[in-house]
Amino acid sequence: MQGISLSLHNRISVFRAERGISRRQLAEAVGVNNQTIGYLERGDYKPSLELALKIARHFDVAVEMLFSLERFEPIAMTLKRTGEDE
Amino acid sequence: MKPRRRSILSMLDDTVRWTGMPARVAAQMSNDPSVDRKHRPLRWIPIWPIAFSCALLMVSLAWPPALDGVSMGLIISGITVFWCVIFGMMPGIHMNGPLGKPSLEDDEREAALRKDAFLICLGLLAVLNCLGQPVLMILSHWKDWQIAQTASVVTSAFMLNAALLGCLPTLYASWNLRQLPNE
Repeated sequence: MQGISLSLHNRISVFRAERGISRRQLAEAVGVNNQTIGYLERGDYKPSLELALKIARHFDVAVEMLFSLERFEPIAMTLKRTGEDE
Repeated sequence: MKPRRRSILSMLDDTVRWTGMPARVAAQMSNDPSVDRKHRPLRWIPIWPIAFSCALLMVSLAWPPALDGVSMGLIISGITVFWCVIFGMMPGIHMNGPLGKPSLEDDEREAALRKDAFLICLGLLAVLNCLGQPVLMILSHWKDWQIAQTASVVTSAFMLNAALLGCLPTLYASWNLRQLPNE
């Protein structure tokens, strides 16, 4: 069983890469310094609920898709599981 | 007469522009700060006034006659540089944001760092003063300080307080502000 860690994990960089959005563009969209997006992606800064919701709204996904208290499953595992389901 | 005065003024303007400060102030005061803005970390400059005022307090406590031997010009120069650095740093660390402009929108990470820096500084100052005041009072009775030494200690303690208030938040924030490489 995987325990809940104290750190906040996020998939901002994955979503950014998928949508082809630069840090600067995301920073402008959510109204922060682009350095802050870098800190978020590295896990060096925990965002406020407001910022987390703004980022989720920008990507048009639920906030749980972007942030989690548990480690996200590797994308390869997700793809494999999706393939098996289909 | 008039054209000559203008040329001197324009030369002065050019000199000021050459320092880069007007552009920097304009960027800081902008209502629409760029997402690329970067705060300049000052990791070493704030140490000097703190070290200077610590040394002054130590000397005035431990060996007050040493101050009698220092020339007045040196003391005035040191104190002038000290206050210039303190006042030069004050606008940058204003609680409401750089240059005291509330409309300059530090984002939440920068605002949190600014508040942390002030909280640490004010907490440290409170502890130092709570501990320092009784110690100084006991020392003054024990060593039977005269008016001159009391005035010297009070002045240097005030300068240490001013140095810590003016420089410690900048020092804390600068060492906690790591610039990430651009994408």
